[in-house]
Amino acid sequence: MDAPLKQRRTEPPAVSIDGVELSLGVGRARVHILKRVSLQIAAGEAVGLIGPSGSGKSTLLMVMAGLERPDAGRVRIAGEDLGSLDEDGLARFRGKAVGIVFQSFHLIPTMTALENVAVPLELAGRVDAMDRAKNELEGVGLGDRFNHYPAQLSGGEQQRVALARALAPMPALLIADEPTGNLDETTGREIMDLLFAQRAKHKSTLVLVTHDSELVKRCSRVVRMRSGHIEEAVTTARQA
Amino acid sequence: MTTQVKTHLRFFGSAVVAIRLAIRDLRGGVRGFGVFLACLALGVAAIAGVGSVSRALSDGLARQGGVILGGDVALSLTHREATTIEQNYLEERGRVAVIATMRAMARAKSDNATLVELKAVDASYPLAGDLKLDPDEGLLTALASPEGVSGAVADPALLARLGISVGDQIKIGDATFEITATLVNEPDKLAQGLGFGPRLIVASGALRRTNLLQPGSLVRWTYRVALEDSSSKGLDEFMRETRARFPDAGWEIRSRTNASPQLERNVKRFTEFLTLVGLTALLVGGVGVANAVKHYLDRKGKSIATLKAIGATGGMVFSVYLAEISLLALAGIAIGLVAGLLMPFAVLWGFGAILPLPFEPSVQLGVLLLAFLYGLVITLAFVLWPLGKAHDVAVSALFRDLIEPQRALPRRRYMLLTAIAVILLATLAIFASEDRKIAIIYVIMSATVFIVLRVLATAIMAVASILPRARSTTLRLALSNIHRPGALTPTVVLSLGLGISLLVTLTLIEGNLRRQLTATLPSQAPSFFFLDVPSSDSENFNAFIRHHAPEQARLDQVPMLRGRILSLKGIPVEEIKPDPDAAWVLQSDRGLTFADDVPEGSTIVEGSWWPRNYDGPPVVSFEKRNADLLKLKVDDHIVVNVLGRNIEATIANLRRVDWESLGINFVLLFPPNVFQGAPYTVLATLTYPDGGTPETELKLIKEIAGAFPAVTTVRVKEALEAINAIVSDLSVGVRAAAGITLIASILVLAGALAAGHHTRVYDAVILKTLGATRGRLVLAYGIEYAILGLITAIIATTAGGLAGAFVVKEVMHFRFVFMLSAAAFAAGVSVLLTVIFGLIGTWRALGQKPATVLRNL
Repeated sequence: MDAPLKQRRTEPPAVSIDGVELSLGVGRARVHILKRVSLQIAAGEAVGLIGPSGSGKSTLLMVMAGLERPDAGRVRIAGEDLGSLDEDGLARFRGKAVGIVFQSFHLIPTMTALENVAVPLELAGRVDAMDRAKNELEGVGLGDRFNHYPAQLSGGEQQRVALARALAPMPALLIADEPTGNLDETTGREIMDLLFAQRAKHKSTLVLVTHDSELVKRCSRVVRMRSGHIEEAVTTARQA
Repeated sequence: MTTQVKTHLRFFGSAVVAIRLAIRDLRGGVRGFGVFLACLALGVAAIAGVGSVSRALSDGLARQGGVILGGDVALSLTHREATTIEQNYLEERGRVAVIATMRAMARAKSDNATLVELKAVDASYPLAGDLKLDPDEGLLTALASPEGVSGAVADPALLARLGISVGDQIKIGDATFEITATLVNEPDKLAQGLGFGPRLIVASGALRRTNLLQPGSLVRWTYRVALEDSSSKGLDEFMRETRARFPDAGWEIRSRTNASPQLERNVKRFTEFLTLVGLTALLVGGVGVANAVKHYLDRKGKSIATLKAIGATGGMVFSVYLAEISLLALAGIAIGLVAGLLMPFAVLWGFGAILPLPFEPSVQLGVLLLAFLYGLVITLAFVLWPLGKAHDVAVSALFRDLIEPQRALPRRRYMLLTAIAVILLATLAIFASEDRKIAIIYVIMSATVFIVLRVLATAIMAVASILPRARSTTLRLALSNIHRPGALTPTVVLSLGLGISLLVTLTLIEGNLRRQLTATLPSQAPSFFFLDVPSSDSENFNAFIRHHAPEQARLDQVPMLRGRILSLKGIPVEEIKPDPDAAWVLQSDRGLTFADDVPEGSTIVEGSWWPRNYDGPPVVSFEKRNADLLKLKVDDHIVVNVLGRNIEATIANLRRVDWESLGINFVLLFPPNVFQGAPYTVLATLTYPDGGTPETELKLIKEIAGAFPAVTTVRVKEALEAINAIVSDLSVGVRAAAGITLIASILVLAGALAAGHHTRVYDAVILKTLGATRGRLVLAYGIEYAILGLITAIIATTAGGLAGAFVVKEVMHFRFVFMLSAAAFAAGVSVLLTVIFGLIGTWRALGQKPATVLRNL
């Protein structure tokens, strides 16, 4: 057990989810997705969220990112009660405290790699947005791709840009939704090496949705979901 | 730093970020914005172009006021010449040119005769501008009478009508003239107004030899003065002094600053009309603008969700795309402004040589600003709603989960902003217009048609969705295309509906105007007006007509004098601001008559008619509509100056007059005792039972011109042809503007088809995979467009009919006839265009190879 993690365990949890309920859709199409979900994640932890399709993993990620409001229950991220924030407050909070890496990268096609990384910093009003973005891109090995547009980059490179964008605001929480799902095995592994290295460097808490058992092994804890419930939480040998 | 300063800085910072992100996003190109740019550019160009061309005209009229007027000031008198005192007064203040104008008959040796606009000038003419003749020997030489026969200068049209050439002789009244030259340019032509015959210029002295100057003759004496002090101050001083010194002279005074007020007023009115038509094109284009933005934002859904996922607020997303759309709108508006400002220069380049009016193009900042504002406000009115919806794009779409359906309406703040933009647009339309009443009517009509069409679109979709399932697959496909999400229905109904409404409105207005001028003629209108029949000769004239005209022809005669209203209800006319529609009654001399009985075509609606051989104090019968406009009632007093004598008369009754019959009618009608012993002329009309043929009419003109040289014959058909020619010229402008609206409709339709192209390709490929032939798909799409076009056409034709009826009845005060064939033609052409353009747009989709598309689905 490394010293910083030990130290952080005394801090308030990075993610505190308590009795969250969420249903989506209307009328007969209404689906009960999250059923009294409670989860505590300490600062600096790397948590793997696994489970079959439709079990509620991605929805739980969205709840953590403030993209979905639960029907009931309480969500605190980095000490901030998301229930007390209005929509704009949530957006601003997301901009500074939550980084998201998507399966399909979701880079803005009309912006260069550098601009894509700088956007969250610019939105947060950072005057050094471009300089910080350059550092982040260099950090993920794309120092020579500043002015390339997403269409001019390979899938792996696009996901590196997405990772740099997610980490640029130094978020307390980094969430990743199947980040290697659209990449070949080798590239996927490179990206995950980078993801874990960078999150350690930024001291971010990581919540990762994946079906990849190799990836799961690299997390300090694995949370298994089924039909909207947390079925079990396992602390892996690697980080225990 | 105070909180307020911090807030401002934060706002400024957000705005900078929004603009920066917008510019970056625009690097992706403007694909899908072709229609957006074209719609805005077209509408703005129409408004800027109409305004610029109009200003070029009014500037030309203003700058050449002195030339048009023929001097700094013109004082006109009807019937009488200026007294010696008056003439001396004018000559003390500058150079004076005396011009007499009247209508007369010119007879050739062949006995061919025609009406001429006769103008007698003195040696000082023209005081301003250049008179050009062919041969260019100078006016004095051309009008001289070296061998007893006076020279005359004629409009080439006169030579053609009489079949004569330069050097030939003609008779006017009792005098003979030799045509010495033709008229190439008459600098003061516009000041005279509409002429019914070609111009003939003779010398003043020669006019007297014609013996046409009889008491009561319709001659107008104009004294033009080139002031010694021609500065604006000198001009004002002269006007003031003249009015003060000769308050009862009865002359109409015009200065170079308002040389042709009627023409300027007409230019202004026509400009306003065309501006509103241009605004309709912009409104139709607005639908295309809104569509383009909606589809753009749909395409950008993932980027918007990404922005929100990484910290952008809904408000920031709105700002980014508002900035982006504004930048694009500015580009579209700029294209329109450049096209609009170039339009008058293009007109001058293309038609400068044949333009009948002074035309001075320049860059008109005020006009461009108005067109810019229209473009900007229309853009905002149409884009704020779809942009507002971008605020709530769900970020959840970036994950693979179930998402909440998006809200149907944007947030309240965006609806409020849209409402403000719409109100701003209406306010601009009303306040930028000189005739607020017309503008308000336009705004109400447009809003009503817009709402009706929007409701209609929803209703069509609702009905299509609940219809029983059609057995025919083709029909079922057509119906489901009408109501499915993303259907073309709202776009087609709105844009096409607005276009057809306007087209039908304009078609009906023009049709009714033409009908008024021509179609009603054969049954009612006289074939001839005879002016200046001396009262002493009226019996002979009557007998002559009876002898030469067909037996069933009807001759009507009324005595006529000229008079000028001096005061109404004790208020001098100079102090009265009359309703513009009745201003003509108070301007200069008007014809008036006297009668013992109520004239045919008139009905007494208030008060009572005087008894036969009435011998009491002066009373008068006033025409009802003008009395209403001038706020006159029975028993009010008016003062009229007739032949130099002031007559104070009490209004005894108000008459309703059927002006459209083209019979003889006057606003003022007195009992005969008021003018006992006064010299007068007779105004006569001759009505042929079946309208008369050109041969019989022209033969009679010849015969009358020979027997009664002093009588002026106006052939009604020729006069109406002259008016019709003007209406035709105006129609070209109106049709061009309406054409722009139709182009905007087609653009919007093309844009909607392009936006829905992907869905059409998908449908076509799936259906072709399942065995549908191209023919069956064409039929299905054809049925879809035809149903939409047809329903829209019916509603829009009704709306256009109502709008047309309102304008014709309430604004023009004519009878309205719904011309079904004209309206149906306009609507039919529009529907045909919809179906054709719809199928052209879909043809590409039908040509897609299923395998290629299926691989990429």
